[in-house]
Order: sequence, then structure tokens, then C-alpha cells
Amino acid sequence: MRAANRGDSVAYHRLLRAITPVLRTVVRARGSGLGPEGCEDVLQEVLLAIHTKRHTWMEDAPLRPWLYAIARHKVVDAFRARGRRVELSIDAFADALPAVEGPDPMDGRDMDTVLGALEPRAAEIVRAFGLNGETTAETAARLDMSEGAVRVALHRALKTIVRLRQRMIE
Amino acid sequence: MKTDDLIAALAADTLPQKSVSQRFWRALPVAIGLSAIAFLVFWGPRPDIRVALGSVAALKTILPLVLVLLSGLLAFALAHPGLRAQTRRAALGILAAGLASAFALVLAREGFSGLTSALATPSLMVCLLSIPVLALPILGSVFWALSAGAALHPRQVGAAGGLMAGGLAAAIYSLYCDQDAALFVLPAYSAAILILAFIGAVAGPRLLKW
Repeated sequence: MRAANRGDSVAYHRLLRAITPVLRTVVRARGSGLGPEGCEDVLQEVLLAIHTKRHTWMEDAPLRPWLYAIARHKVVDAFRARGRRVELSIDAFADALPAVEGPDPMDGRDMDTVLGALEPRAAEIVRAFGLNGETTAETAARLDMSEGAVRVALHRALKTIVRLRQRMIE
Repeated sequence: MKTDDLIAALAADTLPQKSVSQRFWRALPVAIGLSAIAFLVFWGPRPDIRVALGSVAALKTILPLVLVLLSGLLAFALAHPGLRAQTRRAALGILAAGLASAFALVLAREGFSGLTSALATPSLMVCLLSIPVLALPILGSVFWALSAGAALHPRQVGAAGGLMAGGLAAAIYSLYCDQDAALFVLPAYSAAILILAFIGAVAGPRLLKW
């Protein structure tokens, strides 16, 4: 996370991939009524929150308490927005075993709705990294933009996504 | 969209974000400047300001500034999950208890008639209106900074931010106010500052949501 906050994209990617299975277990254990796709939506919301609030982690503090506090807040929030109350203690995260990755696609629906509301070019940039496995430089070359412009566009698009999702669930 | 694809997009977004303290240092001086200019234009310092600041009356400025420090530290801790807030909350409680017992002490000495005569002055309304007005730009900047944080209890964070803005405004206003009686200053300033804490507590859940 320290590296991530200093702009190390690879380390950050590793961290997000490492925490996701644990978060998925916690969300699924509480959201059996939402279905796997609904749970994945909640999980994606939590990941977006971790991303947009990553600078509120103080580098001299342990990461876990921060991470669990953010995740817990967002899980409770997301379930409340879907009309459910969940009780969730911090220990739930510490005790959770990572979810087994099944053959089912870890797909969420909300994100597609939000991406559809985004400007096409912005949505394409957000999709470019995962779907096409591109780097910033490759996306920039394909879309005939500068690398800096791609970075700014991605940053703005993610901010808009967070805002749109909030409006969607209100 | 698959979660793995989202993660890839998040990881690629490496633009640094402004932290709460960076936003504080950017916005707070501007807001204080605005309030100070408004103060100089519409209020102005009391004529005997030099004498007053050399006397006990300087406490009217110093104590609100102590409050600003303590409530600012508390708001900062509450906006950063994982930071411990208990000590800071206790420090604020000690200050409040100290002020309350000082008030009780003076009240016991001078009685209720002393209190009513101290408050029976047009300065009371001026104080209760001026401090919130002077605090508004500051409150705006404090909320803007705190919204970069991750408030788990937005009502508390908002209230702490309100205390901070109210304290700063009270410190500015004290340079104008020529009422130095403890039985005026303690209740009037406290009430004005608490108005701000209340506004902050109401606005917090709405403005500090994430």
C-alpha cells in the first residue's frame, strides 16, 4: 500500500488482488439473498471505496485495521442501500478464508450500467486495462492520446463512477 | 464488468490524491483570510486592543484557539480510520469540563442576578450572530478538507469540524468584543461555538458521506 500511494501500480495491483478473495468471502457470507452478481456489485463498491480513500491510511499505522474499517463501513452501507441491515464485526474479516475462485465469472452488473452512462471514450479507457490487458502507454497509443491524458481521463472516469454509483443507490 | 478488470483499472490510476491535511493547508488560510478581511471591514478591533491582549481578557482569544487545536486534532483522527481518537476526545472533554467548572465557580460567586445583568446587553445578540457569520467561510473550508477523509461517524466529524470553525471565528471576534466579564464571555461564546458544532453535526452525514 505504501508503494501504491507512491504510484507503484504493480504493487498496488498485487495488493488489490490479494485482499479481494477475503472481501468476497465476507460479502458472500452476508449477501446470500443478493445472488453472486449482487455480491460482486457490493464487492466492487468496496474496492472503489478502498481506492478513493487510500490516502486516508497513515503510513505509520498498520494496514489491516484501516482496510477492515473501510471495508466494513462500505459493506454495511452497500447492504443498507439495498434495503438490508447487516451486522458486521471487524473480526469477520480477520477470520474469513479467501473465497474459492469458481468457474463462474466474477461479474458485476452495476458497473456496466454506470459505464454505459459514462462518456464512451472514458468508459473505453476504464475497460482497456482489464479487458485488453493494456498498459497506459498502449491505451494511449491506440486512442492517439498522450499517456498523461489517459491517466487524467482514467482518474476522472473513476471519480465519476463513484459519484454515479452513489446516486444510483440513493 | 469483471472484478479483475476493475482491479486492473484501479491499479492503473496512479494519480496522487490530495490528503486531508494537504486540503487543510490549502483552504484554511484562504478562509481565515476571508473572515479576517470581513472582520476588519465590518467589525474592526476594539480601541483598547493592546491593553486588552495584555490582560486576562486575552483568554477570550487564547481559549478558543486551544479549542481549535483540540477539535482539529479530533476531526483529523476521526476522518482517518485506524487512528485512535480516544485521547483527543478526552482532551476536548477536559477542556469543556474546565470551562464548565470555571463558569460554575464564577456563577456561585456572583449569583444568577450577576449572570442576567452580564447578559443583558446588546452585545449578546451581536456575539451570537457575528461568530457564526465569521465562521461560515472557515466551516466551508474545514468541510472541504474533511470530505477527503473517510469519516466512519460523519456526525461526530462534522461536529468536531464545527467546533473548529466556531473556535477560530470566536478568536477573531474576541478582538472586537469589549465585554470581558466571565459571566458574559463563557456562556455567550460557548453558545455561539455550539451553534457551529450543531450545524456541523447536521451537515456531516450529508456532506461527509463517501
